[in-house]
Amino acid sequence: MTREASQGVQVTALHVVSAAGTIVQPLDFSVDAGKTLAVIGESGSGKSMTARALTGLLPRGVRALGEARIGDHTYSLAAPTPAGSWRNVRGRKAALLLQDPFTSLSYVLRCGDQIAHGVRARLAAEGVLPQRATVEAEVERRLDEVRLPADIARRYPSELSGGMRQRVAIAAALAAEPRLLIADEPTTALDASTQGEVLDLLRELQRAHHMSMILISHDLGIVEGRADEVLVMRAGEVVERGDIRGVLRNAQHPYTQQLIDANPSVNDVSPPAPAARSVLLAAQGLSKSFGDRPALTDATIEVAAGEVLGIVGESGSGKSTLARVIAGLEIPDAGTVTLAGRALPPGRRHRKPGEIQIVFQDPYSTLNPSFTIAQTLKEAINTSAERDRTPADLLQLVDLDPHLASRRPSQLSGGQRQRVAIARALAPNPQVLICDESVSALDVSVQAQILDLLARLRDELGLAMLFITHDLGVVARIANRVVVLRDGQIVERGTTEKVLRSPAHEYTKMLVAAAERDSITRGATTDVTTRLEEPHA
Amino acid sequence: MAESGTRRTRARSRLARVVVLRLASVLLILLALSFLTFTLLYLAPGDLVKNLLGNRPSSPAAIAAVRAQYHLDDPFLVRYLDWLFSALRGDLGVSIRMQQPVADVIASRLGVTLTLIAFSFVLALLAAIPLGILSAARSGSVVDRAASGLSLLGLSAPSFVLAILGITVLAIWLPVFPAYGAGGNGLDRLWHLFLPSAVLAAGIAAILMRITRASVLRELEGDAITFARARGLSERVVLSIALRSALIPIVTSAGLILTFIISGTIIVETVFALPGLGQLLQQSVLFKDLPVVQAITLLVAAMIGLITIVVDLSYLALDPRVRARDSAA
Amino acid sequence: MSLPAEDLSLATQVHPIGRRRPAWLVTASAVFLLLVLVTAVASPLLLDAATRQSILDSLLPPGSDGHLLGTDELGRDVLLLTIAGTGSAIIGPLAIALGSMLLAIVFGTMAGYLRGPVDWVIGRLVDTLLSLPVMLVAIVVAGIFGAGYWVTVAMLIVLFAPSDIRIVRAGVTEQAPRPYVEAAQMLSLSPARIMYRHIVPNIWPLAFTNFMLNFAIALVTLSSLSFLGIGVAPGTPDWGRQITDGRGIVGDNPAMLIVPALLIILVAMATNILGDHFGERLRERGIQ
Repeated sequence: MTREASQGVQVTALHVVSAAGTIVQPLDFSVDAGKTLAVIGESGSGKSMTARALTGLLPRGVRALGEARIGDHTYSLAAPTPAGSWRNVRGRKAALLLQDPFTSLSYVLRCGDQIAHGVRARLAAEGVLPQRATVEAEVERRLDEVRLPADIARRYPSELSGGMRQRVAIAAALAAEPRLLIADEPTTALDASTQGEVLDLLRELQRAHHMSMILISHDLGIVEGRADEVLVMRAGEVVERGDIRGVLRNAQHPYTQQLIDANPSVNDVSPPAPAARSVLLAAQGLSKSFGDRPALTDATIEVAAGEVLGIVGESGSGKSTLARVIAGLEIPDAGTVTLAGRALPPGRRHRKPGEIQIVFQDPYSTLNPSFTIAQTLKEAINTSAERDRTPADLLQLVDLDPHLASRRPSQLSGGQRQRVAIARALAPNPQVLICDESVSALDVSVQAQILDLLARLRDELGLAMLFITHDLGVVARIANRVVVLRDGQIVERGTTEKVLRSPAHEYTKMLVAAAERDSITRGATTDVTTRLEEPHA
Repeated sequence: MAESGTRRTRARSRLARVVVLRLASVLLILLALSFLTFTLLYLAPGDLVKNLLGNRPSSPAAIAAVRAQYHLDDPFLVRYLDWLFSALRGDLGVSIRMQQPVADVIASRLGVTLTLIAFSFVLALLAAIPLGILSAARSGSVVDRAASGLSLLGLSAPSFVLAILGITVLAIWLPVFPAYGAGGNGLDRLWHLFLPSAVLAAGIAAILMRITRASVLRELEGDAITFARARGLSERVVLSIALRSALIPIVTSAGLILTFIISGTIIVETVFALPGLGQLLQQSVLFKDLPVVQAITLLVAAMIGLITIVVDLSYLALDPRVRARDSAA
Repeated sequence: MSLPAEDLSLATQVHPIGRRRPAWLVTASAVFLLLVLVTAVASPLLLDAATRQSILDSLLPPGSDGHLLGTDELGRDVLLLTIAGTGSAIIGPLAIALGSMLLAIVFGTMAGYLRGPVDWVIGRLVDTLLSLPVMLVAIVVAGIFGAGYWVTVAMLIVLFAPSDIRIVRAGVTEQAPRPYVEAAQMLSLSPARIMYRHIVPNIWPLAFTNFMLNFAIALVTLSSLSFLGIGVAPGTPDWGRQITDGRGIVGDNPAMLIVPALLIILVAMATNILGDHFGERLRERGIQ
């Protein structure tokens, strides 16, 4: 065994079960010291449970079996959870970094104190009496390592942005100096531009501390260049494994290929530039502030029938506000919205369902849980002029089995629920359909299907569509024209081809660069750390 | 650095504005209550003057004196404002039943009631919070189940039943505690008040224990605790982190509970024959001694208003998120 | 609203993620409550028999011939008196819990969904009513104006409603920003329809658990008031009254005091057990 392997991690027969059945089939893997293993899967693949099993942090009612070795310490994964044996594993051997930085840090403690806890725990385990000065000095060092200034120690997590909070969490996790760092979707809750930075940081730190790292994600694109090996999981089983470059270039299993294809790349711009058509929906000079915070400033856009306008921006850019103002769910402070030449009143009071409809982001709360699908759709049908359609007709329109009509939302998957939401939105025959991050909460493979459905509906029904998203890959796939928002203002606009291939504004260039880096290039890639070692241009 | 300085002063002034607004709304409520309480006098059935005379003979001279004393010939609003300002100055009128200034009558009873309330509150806290934390930390164990059973009993037994039971068992059958009265001063007073306070504390402790348990359990199952464990922090440290955030709803509920205690003192004082405000209220209502009733109602409302403000301020002090949100709003 | 309502709801949250309560306990509680309810409804039939006085049979101890629980000083049979008192002890609290829930659903939903001035007015009213302890108001109002049974019940409905309104309002404000509500707005449905057809069905679990808790509290409160002599005419069978009367004759016939006291505790316990059970079940389903 090489030195790297003996210092690394070896997992044997890891098996996770619950009362409902097997969550993760028995699997083996190993991660050498200084290497990163990416575990890729969609929801329900068992990737998170695998991570939790290694640290004995499974939820109630879920048990693990198997054995793991980290460095020279071997332990059983089946040990009951609050027990002494896990004390030797958590922290010193393996640390888990969670997905949501908004909940993983305690909100009542200052950032410095939270990192200090980890420092003191490590010193105590080493038998050293923690001195206040030593601890403070180390906290400062840890913060510096994650590129945060020392005064962050005195702040509370609620005062920091998502990216900064995740860096604090990383510092806190590393304070234990683990041999293995498990990062469970560490950037899913962050903006696209921040995602890349945090992942690069993790890769650097991993190399610097010579740790093993397991990086869990649903996104093949962002782990490319940041991992050495990959494990692809689906429904609790490993379907493919190997060197990451090899797998991406030449996937063996059809599921892996499906994931690669479905991964929206900013490089494949598919929809054509639109033919000249008359404008259907126009917004002029829209502005909206919440308190003294301006969310939208002087926004002006136009959409024609049969055309998709992509509205792109990060969180806080105002893209959702723009959509909601146009839909009438928010009242603007200034500006007008016209549909087919007629001015629309602000707010919902005098609007009609046949004008504009909207498909929301979260499929799990977009349908009323106490209504059956049929009830939801019937109610929508009754608001339109054409009352002779049935829920079954609508379900067929969105490629769903009409038998689903008698079910309740809790019996449907996320993708199915979103299709029902689309059907509901189409029931009143709207002229404009707004999709507010409608695919962002869906698994990658489902995303692609929904996008295809929307594209088909656009062509068949001649809808004008506003597509709001933060994901440039999605824009590339569905939008004819694009508008880029930043801090409430439109900074660039044009055809998708032009904006993505040759962006003019600095901000757009930055977004496109980040998206390119986080897309699967399907060619030779260089590792992030090598790239970072090169002198900056 | 200058920028963070101005940010801090701006945040502080916004916070101050929030505090002032809270105070103002509480004062507004008190004002409304004082008005309602005052109108009580005039809505009571029966002849007003006869009520105000009580047991005294109703000679024309006496009637005229009463009319003058209560300014019955002045318009309603003037009478209300006069009453209000007198109350603020400490003059709460004269008790019809006892023919003494109401302020004196209340002052002589206040001590017993306040001691009872404080004693019950402390007993409830001492019983409920450690038990709640223990139940949450050892959820599912025998301790947890026993504590839940106890709390169920405490919630289900009315104070007067517990009081009677308490007296029968612990004062009559086994003469441990005195059966009635408030005793002398100092330790004798506490000895007399122990049983009543324990009875009152039982129901309160039951609610408080449940809230504590739910709050601590919610924290222990949350992401922040999972992450703390995942970094190798000891269970002791983990529990202390959980308690820090669990504290907030416990503290704010403790304030709410104080109002329940005030309700309970009326019953307990009656059963244990304690010369406190609760018993005074009972008797005054029976006798239709309206000035006393008005004064006690106003006093209680003021106390509760004060508690509400203290609770809100404690919330601001304990939860950094609220401070950030209110100062950014 | 002064207190954050999430914390108020903690008081109704009993065992968020706990262990199983023994199933027999839940079933036994349900059966017991059903029996009590049936007795309560049928109790007026026993009124004559229960209030029959007989000086000869005064203060008979329990186990006497023809009087299982003995008699009081007026010669009334304690067992019959207790059974006849079920109605007064149970129907009132049921009405209070129902009435309060109804008011809460109507006004709490309006406050939580419509916001703005409606919310402000309802909020001020709620804050004002919550500033006074229930017992104090009940005693003062009932004592000064004299109050019969149903007037007392009506008054307690008004006094219980504010905290329920807050709880419902909190539930509604949690649902209102959700996409399914906004989708209903996009369909230009009327606010009333959205409030009562779309949102309220999703806060039923909350309302129901609260209803059970309220019933238990109302039981305790009403019996405490009747113990003090308020709300119940002297001579009518009522558990609280019975306890007051029983106190005087505890030496001769303790059953007069103990039996109704025990029944109050048992009914309250059974209600709490059922309420907790449903609360947990509905919360588990909500987590899905």
